Formats: sequence, C-alpha cells, structure tokens
Amino acid sequence: MFYATDDEHPYVYDENKPFDWVRPSSVGGKSLVWGRQCYRWSRQDFEANRADGHGIDWPIRYDDVEPWYSYVEQTVGISGEALGLEQLPDSEFQPPMPLNIAEQRLRDVLAREFDGRVLTIGRVANLTRDMPEQGRTRCQFRGRCHRGCSYGAYFSTQAVTLPMARATGNLTLQDSSVVESLEYDAAEQRVTGVRVVDARTRERSVYRARIVFLCASCIPTTQILLNSRSEAMPNGLGNNHDVLGRYIIDHIFSVGANGTLDGQFEEYVLYGRRPNGIYVPRFRNLPGEEPELEFVRGYGYQGGAGRSPPQDSGGFGADLKQRLRIPGPWRASLYGFGEVLPYRDNRMRLSETAVDRFGIPQMQFDVQWRENEARMAADIVEQAVAMLQAAGATDIRQDTVAAAPGRGIHEMGGACMGEDPTQSVVNRWNQLHVAPNVFVTDGAAMSSGSCVNPTLTFMAMTARAADHAIDLFRNDAI
Amino acid sequence: MITTQIDRREALGGIAAIFGAALISPLRRAVAQDADPGMGPQNVIFPDTQRALVDALVERIIPATDTPGAMEAGVTAYIEMIIDEFYEPGEREGFLRDLQAADDYALERYSAPFTELEPEQQDAIISLAEQQQLDGAEDTFFDAIKQLTVTGYYTSEIGMTVERVYLPVPGRYDGAYPYTDGDRLFSN
Repeated sequence: MFYATDDEHPYVYDENKPFDWVRPSSVGGKSLVWGRQCYRWSRQDFEANRADGHGIDWPIRYDDVEPWYSYVEQTVGISGEALGLEQLPDSEFQPPMPLNIAEQRLRDVLAREFDGRVLTIGRVANLTRDMPEQGRTRCQFRGRCHRGCSYGAYFSTQAVTLPMARATGNLTLQDSSVVESLEYDAAEQRVTGVRVVDARTRERSVYRARIVFLCASCIPTTQILLNSRSEAMPNGLGNNHDVLGRYIIDHIFSVGANGTLDGQFEEYVLYGRRPNGIYVPRFRNLPGEEPELEFVRGYGYQGGAGRSPPQDSGGFGADLKQRLRIPGPWRASLYGFGEVLPYRDNRMRLSETAVDRFGIPQMQFDVQWRENEARMAADIVEQAVAMLQAAGATDIRQDTVAAAPGRGIHEMGGACMGEDPTQSVVNRWNQLHVAPNVFVTDGAAMSSGSCVNPTLTFMAMTARAADHAIDLFRNDAI
Repeated sequence: MITTQIDRREALGGIAAIFGAALISPLRRAVAQDADPGMGPQNVIFPDTQRALVDALVERIIPATDTPGAMEAGVTAYIEMIIDEFYEPGEREGFLRDLQAADDYALERYSAPFTELEPEQQDAIISLAEQQQLDGAEDTFFDAIKQLTVTGYYTSEIGMTVERVYLPVPGRYDGAYPYTDGDRLFSN
C-alpha cells in the first residue's frame, strides 16, 4: 500500500534489458517496507574493488566506518547472533530471534558436513528487547511489518528518526515537495538552493540552505544530480567527466532452491509469525583462499523453513474440514544474495524525450548482469541444492534465473565515492567533489555492493557524513 | 478487542495457497488486488431464494461440526462480494446458471428445491458436480463453490478464531510447538 505505481512514476528501459524500479511513495519511504536485514560489511568488502580491479577503489576502509556501525546499531536496535566471523563482522546485538526446529537441523548439517558454512538467524532491525527511551516495544511476532508497525518494533523513519528530529524543534516536514534539481554557483563551487515542485499544486519554489543532504535513494538522487544542469555543468552536477549515473549495481536475486523435509518434525508447528529468516554468511572467495572458482566476489543465503499449508485433496464436508486441520510438510529454502560487479557501462541517464507528470525527465536504464553474475548464480543454485540434499530434503525445486536488475531493491551506484574527482562523484566524506556543501548519503554513493543487505552501511555512512558536516559547519569550513 | 487486529485481507492469500495452481481466476484476481474478505457486497447479486440456496451449499461444503459451519460464518455474503467485485460478466452469469442447475436437478430428482432436501440428498447433488455430471452446470462449478467456501470460511472471524486459533498480543515465537494431528491450527 506504500508503493509507487509505474503509471504515476514512469521510467524507461530497453525491452531486452529490463530494470525493475521498486519504490514507495510515502513519508518514511523504504524504511516502512524494507526487509530489515542488517549486516556489517567486512574488511574484504571495502577492499574488493582494489583487489580485483573492478569499479572505483573505495577511499575509506572498514575502520573508517566501524564506529558508525556501532552508533547506528545502538540507535536502531538490531537482534542477531554474534559469530565472530571475519567475513561478517558482528554488530552490537540485542538477543537473537530463535531458529525453528527445521532450521536448527539445517544448521547442524552445515556445521557437520560443510566446512566453514554457518547458518544463523537473520540479523534484523526488529527489537527483541523493549527500547522505552524511544517509545518502542519489542517485536510481537505478528508478521505485519509491511503495514508499518504500531509497536515501533522495527526501525523505520516514523518509529525512530522522525520523532528524534521533531524533538529538536527544528523539523519542518514537507511531505509533498518533489525535488527537481539543485541550483549551483560555479564561482563559489557550492549549491545555493534546492528547486522543488509541489506535488499537489505544481507550484515551483526554491529552498535555500548552507548544507544540503541528498538522500533521496539511489536512483532519485542520481536523477536530481543529472537534472541539475547549469552552464558550467551542462551534463549534470558533478558530471564533467561522464561518471555520474554509472556503475549501477544491485544484488543477484531470487536464485536458489527449496525442498520438502518429508517425514521430519511432523509433531511440530510454528507458534507466531517471525518476521525474519535465516542467514548463511559468505563462504566463497574469502581472504587467503586460493582462487579456484570461475567467478570473483561472493554471496550469502537467506531463506528459512516452515510448514506448508494444509493440502487440498478433493472432496467436501466434515471430512474436508478435518483434513484442513492437518498442516502440510515442512519446506526449507535457501536463496542467494550475490555481489554484482560495478560495471562502468551499467548506467542510468535522463531520457531525452520522456518526462513525468511534473515535467522532470524520466530515468532511462541500461543495466544488465554479465558473465561473472551468471557463474555466481549457477554456484548459488548448485550449493543450495547440495545443502538441502544433505538435510534430507526431497522434491527440490531450483530457481536458476536471476531476477531483473533492480528487483533485489538494493540498487546502488550512480554517484560513486572515490579519491579522484575525474573518476568519482563524491569524496571520502560523501561530499560532491564539485560542491562540498552537498552530501550524498544513500545508495548512490556506493562504489561496490558487497553481498550483504546494504541499509546498515547506508545508515552508518550517513551518520558519519552528518558528523563530519557538523564539524565543518562549526569550524565555518563549509 | 482482539478481533480488531484480525487481518482478513492478508489471510486470503494464505488460504488461497491451499489450491495452488488450481485457484479459480476470480479468486486469483481477488488475491492479486488485495481484496478484503470482510467487505460486504456493494450490489445485490443473489435474489433471496438464491441466497438461501448458497447458504445451503456452503454449509454442506464446510458444515457445522465441533465448530460452526460456513453459513454461520457469513460465507454467503463473502461469495456475493467476490462475485460482485471480481467476477467478469460472463463468469458471473455462468456461476448463477450453475446454481440454478443445482436447484433444477433437486426439483427433478427429489421434487423439492435444494434448500428443502435432506443433507444426504444435498451431498449427492454436490458429488455430481464434483464428478462434473450435474446436468446444466459447467465443469468448473464444484471447484468454484468449494474454493469460494473455503477461502470465505477460513478468512472469517469464526474461521480465524473458532475453527483456527487466533494468536493474541503479546506475541512470541516458538519454532517447535507440539502438534498432534487434528489439533486446531493457528490462523495465518
């Protein structure tokens, strides 16, 4: 119910290269509808571009972000299990949600039969302990997160950060302002205003500010920058070197397998609806391993186990009613989230012809997965099947075709972070190279994607950038 | 009030999964469009006699046993809503003809309308429909009335709180909750 429709929010792509742009259109944005999975990046993730030469090398490393992970985790509230793994650093956790009996069995099988593979409960921004200081109550296991939680049990803008912002007394919420572009002063090298359209009245106006945080989500942020065309920068703000809009990534999504655990655990069902699944951390191409696979980088699995609904086997009457009291078998699933390489030619740009209802040029996508992604996807399926088989699963069904780019809803890139202003759009503090009073703090700034869900890293980098902005502001350096 | 927390809209998708690929098109559309099974019909679809006929049919499909049946759960109004909102004109006429066929057969075979027959006689007619041998009815009639009844019943307040167990708040998660065949299941 929070999602934008393509009719109202159109975009353009070539039929042979589909792109799924999934986004909400409401105050609170994706924070209301996200999957809530929260994982720290590893040291290896920040060094991946340098190590294999794909994309732009990150100017920051794990140590730069680590304290901000802690800061965010304490604010957001993340439940999970500490594992002490190098490839998946632990967060500051609330107690983990429990695995169910079938997942516990799968965990035991992996530990016993698959060297270095661990199954853990998802690390998730759903509280398992009340946070009364934020007016939030722990998860009630209703499984109704996507409607917005009335307990504030999961992190959302509405539950956590908007109340904090309002408490400062300095918040003005403009819920119908659509940002069109930024106003740039080339002589001063700074942005002087934000041009907006009122979604209801279509009136145009300009907001002036000393500092601008551009945090509209990866695609709209890039769209705003591309649409901020001036005499000095006719191809968009910070785009004199044709880097803006490039290196678009997402995650390999919806490849994996699921199978029936026939005859197992029939004397158990699930009580409650846990809004969380399992996680199998990356086990491919870890540091120090001999490269023997046909792809670079790695993937993790998400999934879980549960009982199928009762089966319909014909008939009617009291007999049918009785049969509908008997649950179906347990099924388990493992689906990969794989790192996609940052390709310069995977890009988005402004359409030269199509505009939206506000007269803003539509985004045009030219993004496709390539050989490395295909090889990784094949390994994701093969290993999922092997692990399910080891757990005694039957009737194993494979999903071998990766969803279209964008469908993972982990879109990143477009205004990548880097040291070199001719090769990247923002600097190590998320400031535009060409206008240091603009901070780009969403997926757009990501120069690579890791294989873990990105939101925790977005939040940590945003907090880090905000802290830096305050320093600059206080020192009159901006 | 616990009942205000029931989400029938979400329950519909969960129950419809029982039928998998066999789900009839109107219910497929209802699930896709997030239909609220608790919403009453906006327009009158059934004349009174037909409403009584549907009451009788759904009650034989999900009868009162140790828990109430489909009639008491208000399934007929749910079916009327689905027909009103999600049946295309041709489908609707077909379904109404099928209902008439059941009544016509009752009159011909037992010399009384369907609603006045003994339960065994009613069951015999429904069985004919299941075997696709009910004169004048489409082959899809049984699937349609059964799926409509099942989805309506298990998304009703009675279905979700009496036939099945509604989980209250404060909630918790137990991934190994003991179960014996025939125990009441938890609502979706």
